[in-house]
Amino acid sequence: MLKAALAIARKDLSLALSGAQGLVQTVLLGLLLIFIMSLSREPGELSPPLAAAAVFWLATAFGQVLVFNFLYGLEEAEGARLGLLLSPAPAQAVWLGKALSGWVLLFCCQMVFAPAAVAFLGQTVAGSPLTGLAVVAAVDWGLCALGSLLGALSVGKSSRESLLTVILFPLLVPALLAGIRLLETVISGRGLEAVGAWTGTVVAFDAVFTAAALVLFPFLYTGEE
Amino acid sequence: MAQALVRLRRVSRFYGERAVLKNIDLELAPAQVTLVVGPNGAGKSTLLRLVAGLLPPSEGEVETELPPGGIGYLGHKTLIYPKLTARANLAFWQSMFGQPRDDAAVTAVLSRVGLAGFADEEAGVFSRGMSQRLSLARVFLTAPRLLLLDEPASGLDPASAVWLRREIRAVADAGASVAWVSHNIAADLAACDRVVRLDGHRVAYDGPAAGFDAAALAGEGVC
Repeated sequence: MLKAALAIARKDLSLALSGAQGLVQTVLLGLLLIFIMSLSREPGELSPPLAAAAVFWLATAFGQVLVFNFLYGLEEAEGARLGLLLSPAPAQAVWLGKALSGWVLLFCCQMVFAPAAVAFLGQTVAGSPLTGLAVVAAVDWGLCALGSLLGALSVGKSSRESLLTVILFPLLVPALLAGIRLLETVISGRGLEAVGAWTGTVVAFDAVFTAAALVLFPFLYTGEE
Repeated sequence: MAQALVRLRRVSRFYGERAVLKNIDLELAPAQVTLVVGPNGAGKSTLLRLVAGLLPPSEGEVETELPPGGIGYLGHKTLIYPKLTARANLAFWQSMFGQPRDDAAVTAVLSRVGLAGFADEEAGVFSRGMSQRLSLARVFLTAPRLLLLDEPASGLDPASAVWLRREIRAVADAGASVAWVSHNIAADLAACDRVVRLDGHRVAYDGPAAGFDAAALAGEGVC
């Protein structure tokens, strides 16, 4: 399963990065969101770290929808979904492959969102950037595990694309809240031990939705139109 | 008759209240080309999807002797990635079928389908005929024991259609079973061993191709 998942992730990343397909829209949407939010403060005024972290994760959440619509759309253009389902690889390999490629793509987008948020929202990062990267990567995995699971709902008919947003956002709330709290802690330079419960929330979210996806994905990603 | 690769036992399929197939009994044996014919809406594509396990039957059972990955599919859509080169497409499907990366095998199969000179071009720029050849290369590379074809010749020029017919026959002669949905019965019948005709959601004919009267169907708009 891991080899097939890596093959799918490699193929998706090659398609996404070769023509920057899927990434440009995501980055532009996120930057637009950060810029618009920055207009809500007076010139020279600093946004609170909590608000900056919230804007960052909001941009990420919207970007995630575009990323997974793009990734699953790749399999629909010429019916490759049928080929994936008829291959000997388990359906979960598709989920894992998409989650991995989504994880990388989302992280690439965040590498643009982060400096933009710092610049436009007037932040000074007091904490360790490495801790910040670890927090972002950990929260991202939960977002991508869930995004890849629910992305399967958007395949087949265009009318289903809206389903992804409708179902995804309410389920993302715990991860987003935890991400906001943890990132705010990193920006303000406090240790993560001060927000241990939120760290636990991220770990639990990642574990629950990884396990749920492994069980549920074959029922969502089928040959039905 | 050799051991069947797939058996359908009293299989029915409904979409909501609408029946598409009712009480279908069918066996697909190795080294045999089965032509599946019938008017539009007769359930031919649904039948292939049931055989492939892509759709669950509403009633009845689909039994198969095939291991995972033992079924190949070629239809209206080519199952290729337009933004990848022909070579990268085939290398991807090699990985998905657990095969080691083998550039020589990819080159050989591209030569077989006449695309050796286009190996490093994006599949998206290919004509319909070239795309279908690439799709067939994918099938050859994964060597399925059961090949399902859903009007694979639609959009092909006459010369490409003749070539496709010859390749399909070669796949069956090598031991695979082929189930082939076609509307071009008069032309395709000669390459087949057996005909299954669907009509009124049921199997109306299941017998040797030699005894099948294709001309009689012309008036029904089937061919």
